[in-house]
Amino acid sequence: MNKGYLCLVLHSHLPFVRHPEHEDFLEEDWLYEAMTETYIPLILVFERLLSDKVDFRLTISLTPTLISMLGDNLLQERYLKHINKLIELAHKEVERTRWQPEFNNLANMYLARFYEARNVFERYNRNLVLAFKAFQDAGNLEIITCGATHGFFPLMDVTKPSIRAQVKVAASHYEKVFGRKARGIWLPECGYNPPDDEIFKEAGIKYFLTDAHGILHGSPRPKYGVFAPIYCKSGVACFGRDLESSKQVWSSIEGYPGDSVYREFYRDIGFDLDFEYIRPYIHPDGVRINTGIKYYRITGTDNNKEPYNPHWAREKAAAHAGNFMFNREKQVEYLYDLMQKKPLIVSPYDAELYGHWWYEGPMWLDFLIRKVYFDQKTIRLITPSEYLAENPRNQVVTPSMSSWGYKGYAEMWLQGSNDWVYRHLHKASLRMTELVKQFSRHSTDGLLRRGLNQALRELLLAQSSDWAFIMGTGTHISYAVKRTKEHILCFNSLYEQIKSNTIDEGWLSDIENKDNIFPDIDYRVHQ
Amino acid sequence: MAILRKIKEGLKKIIQNKKSSSKGAGLAAKKKTAEEAKKETLGIRETAVEQTKFSHPEPARQPWRIPQEIPWGYGEDRAVLQVRDPWWLHAYWEITGATFDNLKARLGDTFYSSKMVIRVYDVSDIIFNGSNAHRFFDIEINLEANNWYIDTGGPGRSWCVDVGLRLPNGDFITIVRSNTVRTPSEGPSWITDEEWMIPEDMFARLYGMGFGFGRSSPVGKGWQEKMKKEFFSSGAVASVGMSSSPVKKPVKERQFWMVVNTELIVYGATEPDAKVTVQGKGIRLRPDGTFTLRFALPDGRQVIPVQATSADAVETRTITPVVTKETK
Repeated sequence: MNKGYLCLVLHSHLPFVRHPEHEDFLEEDWLYEAMTETYIPLILVFERLLSDKVDFRLTISLTPTLISMLGDNLLQERYLKHINKLIELAHKEVERTRWQPEFNNLANMYLARFYEARNVFERYNRNLVLAFKAFQDAGNLEIITCGATHGFFPLMDVTKPSIRAQVKVAASHYEKVFGRKARGIWLPECGYNPPDDEIFKEAGIKYFLTDAHGILHGSPRPKYGVFAPIYCKSGVACFGRDLESSKQVWSSIEGYPGDSVYREFYRDIGFDLDFEYIRPYIHPDGVRINTGIKYYRITGTDNNKEPYNPHWAREKAAAHAGNFMFNREKQVEYLYDLMQKKPLIVSPYDAELYGHWWYEGPMWLDFLIRKVYFDQKTIRLITPSEYLAENPRNQVVTPSMSSWGYKGYAEMWLQGSNDWVYRHLHKASLRMTELVKQFSRHSTDGLLRRGLNQALRELLLAQSSDWAFIMGTGTHISYAVKRTKEHILCFNSLYEQIKSNTIDEGWLSDIENKDNIFPDIDYRVHQ
Repeated sequence: MAILRKIKEGLKKIIQNKKSSSKGAGLAAKKKTAEEAKKETLGIRETAVEQTKFSHPEPARQPWRIPQEIPWGYGEDRAVLQVRDPWWLHAYWEITGATFDNLKARLGDTFYSSKMVIRVYDVSDIIFNGSNAHRFFDIEINLEANNWYIDTGGPGRSWCVDVGLRLPNGDFITIVRSNTVRTPSEGPSWITDEEWMIPEDMFARLYGMGFGFGRSSPVGKGWQEKMKKEFFSSGAVASVGMSSSPVKKPVKERQFWMVVNTELIVYGATEPDAKVTVQGKGIRLRPDGTFTLRFALPDGRQVIPVQATSADAVETRTITPVVTKETK
């Protein structure tokens, strides 16, 4: 009999980046890199677990923007081109490194992985969402939704209809894609502000997750800390993040990904090799970029890195998985005695940490899941809805406003470099509400309805927290600034055109074609 | 560029705010608890990793649409208040020229001897009618400011602000009033419920564990000290509070460096339908029968036999370059 539960949660998200008007668009690589390095390796882990009959449980959020991009024909076409170029480059690398066996092995490893990635991509009909859906239908994966475009809810407090639109658009999108209702929601950046849960409830959502202090600073005091979920007054459950298990993976001091045998993220042949040679595989303007082929391990802090050794890295990943499990067992045993009840450890991570940043991450996850399944009896993997089904009685607490960002609140998205956006986002939101009030009672004809729906799309796209996040980091901000302004401008023009009954159909078609997310959107959800 | 100016202004304000808060709220800053501090290190790490999702240099590219500027404002008097964290609020506002003109007409010369201020009201648990706040304080701002970060020093309370004029005689004229917000509390709630009672020491233990201090961590002051020590010795603290960006900037030490690598290009030509091997491995010819190979060249001696065999396998030619590389 187990003494507690471990709930692993991966949050997968990328903002909607799709530029049909350009042949090559650098920021689309965010998606292609994450596909090759994170989503496909995770899919392979799940496939192997299932074929070895390991009955695992994992929770993953797939944001509506990510799902939309993964299912988009144009981006699928472009991914195929992208992976084919990588295969070509890896072939060249196998040849180039012929006299350097330590690199030649790695070039062959990358070549095999790129072929494998293309193979997985083709096997799932070019839409990786179908893979995740299959694991959910098999009962091993619980897919949860997120804000439609990952808007940061606490900074929409003055425009609640936008939170409602973010949640409802996401919930109906989820239902259409997965053929069932979303049970849980990953709040963008874990941003919670009471009583947003009332809106989640309207959309039929049963639970969400917050950072530790969301629950620990909730009122009244949570009897079991973050080790049991609580119910908000609305009846929606809230699960709190356990920071001890987070720290083991995230911490720059003791975190696993910093181990010296693991692969170094920052040494990529896109930057290391001769310009003329690498030129066809970097940006057409000649800007060097990461290719994904990286030959070194973390080693020390200087530039003299040692070549990566996949066997050592694999052994270390197994050891780290064992260490993680041991610590959870100890944690659960201790808590079980203290609480007189089976504790729940919720460990959420950014999915893109696994594979993209921490190359061995998917392997670590694979080892961890197997070890938990075969080697011990103290902890059991569980999903939030399973936990709630088994433990329906929980304390009622109002969680505290919180996020999992820098300093735990809103500062990452509200500082000198990005605070200017809210003046415009809020105004656009108020105008959207005004449009809904004005038009929703009458039957709207084709063109007007199209304009209203597109206005909501533009508003949602402007609200992605990613733009403020990138501005907040202070590096490479121009794209984020441009996207924010562009969607605001489109929204403002649509608003003027709708109000004056002068919708420019040609232009509307253009932006519908470009910002084509959520084809079934209904503007009336924004109220 | 309007937006750049705007950002600069914002930065200036933050610096101003930091300066003023370092005097006034110095004590509050010192009171920062260890869990907050730890949270910050984790936050930095996570931010840095999340940022790698978007890790690209920026190419110089043409804008994909004729650049237009978003409006400065929307021609209305409006103030909005948002919560940044338990201590700080952010207010932004717009006051139209017409409103200022009216005020000037009404006040005459007094307008110019008046101060633009933000009046911050503590309106916790009341319905604010403009005069029943628990307390208020004023922040003097310049006329051009259109947003401000406000140090309330009051977690877990409700706030509302007026942007207005304070006349030389002390009277205050509200120009715009904001919405009301509530800051989250900075620690655990004092409210407990009977049904889910929990002894103080047990909650303290769970509380510490929730923040990742491990089961062996002593609870209370002890662990706070321990975490503080660990935190301050990690070096990560240097970036906290000094910079508004959580992403670690590379340390500016002298880091001059150089890398030299060598590659060898082997190229040649034969009949387009010939079979060619290099060091025994087959290679593919271009349609015109030429080929180019490129090898990373390590130190040492490389013997590179290149062999071509005619399509009918009758004739064979072998040419063997020998290359020695040494690094001094």
